[in-house]
Amino acid sequence: MSATRTARRWVFGAAAVLTVLAALRLAVPAESVPGRMLGAVLDVGYASSVLRLTVPIAFAALGGIFAERAGVINIGIEGFLIVSALTSVIVARRLPWAGVTGPTALWLAFVAGVLVSVLVAGVFAVLTVRYRSNQVIAGLAVWLVALGLAPFITLTLFDSSSPTIGTLGTWPIPLLSQVPVVGPVLFDASPVVYMMLLATPLAWYALRYTRLGRRIRAAGENPKALDTAGVSVSRVRYAGVLVSGVLAGIGGAGFTVGQLGTFVAVGQTSIGGRGFLGIVAYLFGNYNPFAAVGGAMLFAGFDSLQLRLQQIGALDIPSELFGILPFVVVLVTITLVRRTRVPSALGEPYDGEE
Amino acid sequence: MSRLPAWLSRLLRRAAGLSGLERALVSVAAVVAALVLGGFVVLGSGYIASCREPTLFLFGTSFCFDPVEVYAAMYQGAFGTQLNQALTLQRMTLLVFTGLAFAIPYRAGLFNIGAQGQFVLAALGTTVTLLWLGPLVSGGGLLATAVLVPAGLVAGALAGGLYGLLPGVLKARYGTNEVISTLLLNFIATAVAIVLVKRFFNDPGIQGTVSRSIPEAAVLRPWLFPTGARFSVAVLAATLALVVGFWWLLNRTTLGYDIRVLGRQRAAAVFGGVDAARTTVLSMTIAGAVAGLGGALYVMMVVGRWQTGIPALGFDGIAVSVLAGNNPLALVPSGVLFGALQSGGLAINFQLGIPRDLVEVLRGLVILLVATPELFRIAGRYLRRRGRLRPAGGEAG
Repeated sequence: MSATRTARRWVFGAAAVLTVLAALRLAVPAESVPGRMLGAVLDVGYASSVLRLTVPIAFAALGGIFAERAGVINIGIEGFLIVSALTSVIVARRLPWAGVTGPTALWLAFVAGVLVSVLVAGVFAVLTVRYRSNQVIAGLAVWLVALGLAPFITLTLFDSSSPTIGTLGTWPIPLLSQVPVVGPVLFDASPVVYMMLLATPLAWYALRYTRLGRRIRAAGENPKALDTAGVSVSRVRYAGVLVSGVLAGIGGAGFTVGQLGTFVAVGQTSIGGRGFLGIVAYLFGNYNPFAAVGGAMLFAGFDSLQLRLQQIGALDIPSELFGILPFVVVLVTITLVRRTRVPSALGEPYDGEE
Repeated sequence: MSRLPAWLSRLLRRAAGLSGLERALVSVAAVVAALVLGGFVVLGSGYIASCREPTLFLFGTSFCFDPVEVYAAMYQGAFGTQLNQALTLQRMTLLVFTGLAFAIPYRAGLFNIGAQGQFVLAALGTTVTLLWLGPLVSGGGLLATAVLVPAGLVAGALAGGLYGLLPGVLKARYGTNEVISTLLLNFIATAVAIVLVKRFFNDPGIQGTVSRSIPEAAVLRPWLFPTGARFSVAVLAATLALVVGFWWLLNRTTLGYDIRVLGRQRAAAVFGGVDAARTTVLSMTIAGAVAGLGGALYVMMVVGRWQTGIPALGFDGIAVSVLAGNNPLALVPSGVLFGALQSGGLAINFQLGIPRDLVEVLRGLVILLVATPELFRIAGRYLRRRGRLRPAGGEAG
C-alpha cells in the first residue's frame, strides 16, 4: 500500500468521523448525556490532549519501525519507555541539589532519559545481534527488568512511589497560535508534541531516501544481499536498534517531562502499556511512519476519550471498563486489519559474517 | 562449557541427554550470572540511596545495602523455617502451572504471554462457581468437599481455557499476532474481573475489591505442614503428576508430535499433514486451561476468595519456563528457584526494608541471560582458549 494512499485514507476517515460527530452535536440537546459526551469530544482541549497522549505511543512506534525494519523484533520498547521515564524523574529530582532548577533541569532530565534508553538499547542490541538471543524473549526480559527496576529504585530513592517533577508546559508560536481552533491545538503545544510532528516525516524520509535507511531496510529484507554488497549487517542492525532506543527514550522521557510531570512506579507504571500500543500502531500502519503515528493517534484518541467520559460520570459504567477501551479497540482493529507484511528476515540472527 | 567433575558430568548426561546437559549448564550459569548482576544492582542502589546506618563499607565508600546480607536473608526467607518452605513450595506449584501455560504453546512456536489474564479470570470463575454451589451442598463435610473441589478445578480450567481459546482462534483464523493479543487480553482480564467482583460478588464487610469467601469445604488444607501454611501436599503430588503427564503428552502422543514439529519446521509440518490451525487453537486452549487450574488452586489453597493484587504469577511463569528450556520435567527445579525468590523477596522486605521488586529485576535478568546461550558458549570458548580450563570431553562449545 503506498504511503499517499494510506495518508489519504486516514484524512478521509478522520474527516468523516468529525463530520458525523459535528452533525450529531447539532441534533442532540447539549444538556443531555449524549450531548455532554459529544461536547467532551468536539472540543479544543480534547484535540490537544489526544496529541499529547499520542507522543509516547508514536515515538514507541517510530522506534519499533527502525528496529524491526533492520530485522530485530523489539518487544522491549515498553521497557525502554519505562527506563527513560524513570531516569528523567530521578535526574529532575536530584538536579535541584546541584542548584539546577526549572526548565533547565527538566531538559537535562529529558536528555538523561534518552541517553539511558540508548544505553539499554545498546545492551539489547549486543545480546540480540552479537550473541543471537531469542529476540522476543530478550525483549520481554527487558520489559520485565524495567518493570521491577522502576518500583525498586523509586522506592529506595524517594519516600513516595510517584515522585512529581512538573512539566515543560507549552510553547506558543507567535501569530500562528492565534488562529482559531487549529492554533491552540497545533501551535500552542508542548515541545515534545512539536518533536513528534517533526520526527514523523523525518523518520519517513530517513527510511526511504537516506543511505542508512536503505541499508536498514535491506538488513531486514535481505541481509545476505547487504553482506554481499560489502556492508556489515551487524552494524546496520546495531544502528537500527540504537535509533529505536533514541526514539523510545524521547517517548518515555518526553511523556514524563512534557505531559505527566510525575512517574508512577506502581503496577504497570505510568507508561501503562503505551509501548505495546506503539508496537500495535506500527503493525497496524504496516511499518509506514505516517500510518503508524496515525494509528498511535487513534489509540490516544480512545485513551483520552475514556478519561473524559469518566469525568462526565453520568453513565453508569465503572471506570475500570473505560480504562480498557483503548486495549479493546486495538485488539479489534489488529484482528480486522489484514495481515501486515513483515520484513522477511525479521527475528532471524544473521550469521554470514565472521 | 566449563569442566565438571567427571562423575557429575556422567550423571547429568545420563539424566538429561547431550543437548539437555548443555542446556542445563547454560541455565545454571545464567542464574549465577543474574544473581551476581543483581548483587551489583543492590550495591548500586545502596550507593545512591540515603540511609542513617550504612551496612557496608568498601573502598572508603558506604553502601546502604550489603548484597551478601540481602541474599542470606532471601535464603532464610525461602528455606529457613517450615513455614517458609511451605511458602516456597506453594509458589513453586503455582508457577509450574503458569510455566506449563507458556511451555506448551512455545513448543508449537507460539508465545503465550497471556497466562496472567487466564489465571486471573480463572480465579474468578472458580470463586463464582464455589459461591454458587456452596449453599447447594449444605452441611459441609467430606461429601461437600468431594463435590466442591472438582467443581472449582473444572470451573477454573474452563474459564482459563476459554480465555486461551480466544487468542488461539484469532491467530488461526485472522493471523493476529499472539504476542500482542495475549498481552492486551491481560490488561483486559484484570479490569473485567475487578468490575465483575465490584458489581456482583463484593464482600460488603471488607474495604476494597474483595469477593465473599468460598465455602470452608472447598479450601485445600495443609497436611504435614504447620497449620498456618497455605500449602497442600496433595496439590504438590498432583502437580508432579501433571508435569509427568505433560511430558508424556509432548513426547509420546500424536498431538505432542504435531506441536513439536509445528514449532520446529512449520512449513514441513503443514506439508506433512499437520493441521496448523487446529494445533494452534488446541495448544493455546490447553495452555489457558492449565493456567486456569493454577488460578483455581490459588483461590482454593491460598486466598480463599477473589481479591485484587493477584501476584504476577503469569509473567513469572514465562521466566520459569524459559529457564527450564520449556521442558515440563525441568519446570519443577526451575519453579523451586523462582518460588524461593518470591518467598525470599517477602523476607528482604520485612527484615531489611528493601523493596521486594528486586526479585522482579532478578527474574528479568535470568530470562535475558537464558535467552542468550551464545554468551556462555563464547565465554566458555574464550576461557578455554586462554588455557584456564582444560577442554571438557565431547560436548558442543
